[in-house]
Amino acid sequence: MSTTTAESSPAVNWEPRIIAYCCNWCSYAGADLAGTSRIQYPPNARILRVNCTGRIDPEFILVALEMGADGVLVSGCHPGDCHYTSGNLKLRARWALMQKTIEQAGVDPRRVRLQWASASEAQIFADGVKELTEQVRKLGPIRSEWK
Amino acid sequence: MLAKPVPVAMAQGSSCWGCFQSLVDIHLKLADVLPLLDIKYWQAVVDYKLKDLEGYPDKSIAVGFYEGMARTEEDIHLLKVMRQKCQTLIAFGSCSCFGGIPGMANFSDIEQCYDVKFRHNKTVNGGSVPSVNVPAITDVVKPNTDYAAFDVYLPGCPPTSKLILTAVTALLEGKPLELPPYTVCHYCKREKKETPISEILRPYVGKADVQRCLLEQGYICMGPSTWGLCEGQCVNKGATCRGCFGPSPPIMKDHGAATISMLGTYAPIDPDKLIAQVKDPLGTFYRFDYPTSHLGRIRIKHEEAERRRK
Repeated sequence: MSTTTAESSPAVNWEPRIIAYCCNWCSYAGADLAGTSRIQYPPNARILRVNCTGRIDPEFILVALEMGADGVLVSGCHPGDCHYTSGNLKLRARWALMQKTIEQAGVDPRRVRLQWASASEAQIFADGVKELTEQVRKLGPIRSEWK
Repeated sequence: MLAKPVPVAMAQGSSCWGCFQSLVDIHLKLADVLPLLDIKYWQAVVDYKLKDLEGYPDKSIAVGFYEGMARTEEDIHLLKVMRQKCQTLIAFGSCSCFGGIPGMANFSDIEQCYDVKFRHNKTVNGGSVPSVNVPAITDVVKPNTDYAAFDVYLPGCPPTSKLILTAVTALLEGKPLELPPYTVCHYCKREKKETPISEILRPYVGKADVQRCLLEQGYICMGPSTWGLCEGQCVNKGATCRGCFGPSPPIMKDHGAATISMLGTYAPIDPDKLIAQVKDPLGTFYRFDYPTSHLGRIRIKHEEAERRRK
């Protein structure tokens, strides 16, 4: 897999790279609405659609970080509103464990963010991307910790 | 008429010798196996030295076992020599496959390890890091697979005697080694009712129902994410699985992440409660395979970078 972009570019031109996992039924539609509503938010997030946040294995997040993603966003339906009744509750429990685990392992837990945004909450989705991007910008490139 | 003995070599890196103990524990079957082996190297058991091993022609040893992870320069050298001399090299035990218990040293950096072990050891006054007549230690535990390629992985802490016997017999007969891919749950006789967990319990809390799945009763059991080559020894005797056989095939997946995923599915409870109840998640979920996991890889890269900066 190509890792050239971040390594060859100097830190001055560095832009945070954020992987965003969005559930099909709420946040992906919310992201779509943010676009059609012309809400401005940073272009740093690469959105990946999953059917439900309950599909997200913590490995997805850890792989992204290991491969050099500077931040990972997971956005799903509000607790209680899951299209599959309880997928997001399962993710919420995994998330709590994973966040504590990565903190123990020495990865800054502020690089990952979990948020709930329904299909109508385009603004919340956009704000989430913005906040995480700003946070990660302050933390710097994850690769700089490995050089 | 006995067949010609097969040349084998056993090598040990940094480990506890438990895996070789388990090999010796095949007990009466040793009488069948030993005559088939021509042991070319085995530290502290047969009287060959490292220079003897180095002197053999390349690929002249049919089967090599490497136990333990490679923490010192000497371990790394031994591992590379073994790869050179052996046709089939077996990663013997979880330390050799994934880093194992000694891999947890990566939770701290090398200076912290030195402090605890040598400089400020509670039973030593004025301790210092030894540097004479000992091989240099590496800055970080890297998995053995980073130094040499293996042909067979036999995980376990230790691999069971039965598993070793199966593997050794197959290899000596030149047959392919096919291991069942099931997880520990496949072998567990406890009753599962697929009920969510309402509370995570510490192992010493309460009294577990002997008939029912330990995980469903709230005890953290890593059975669902762990390769069941042990055939469920612990869980059937009443102890939870700690995951010593590592992830099920394909075995280089992230065991800890799989366990977190599994536990979150079983216990979709309030995150604050969950965090308060699960003590030390890193040590619990990555006990045997931290160096080969994604998180462990991030840590290794981090520690190596720290070294370069110094």
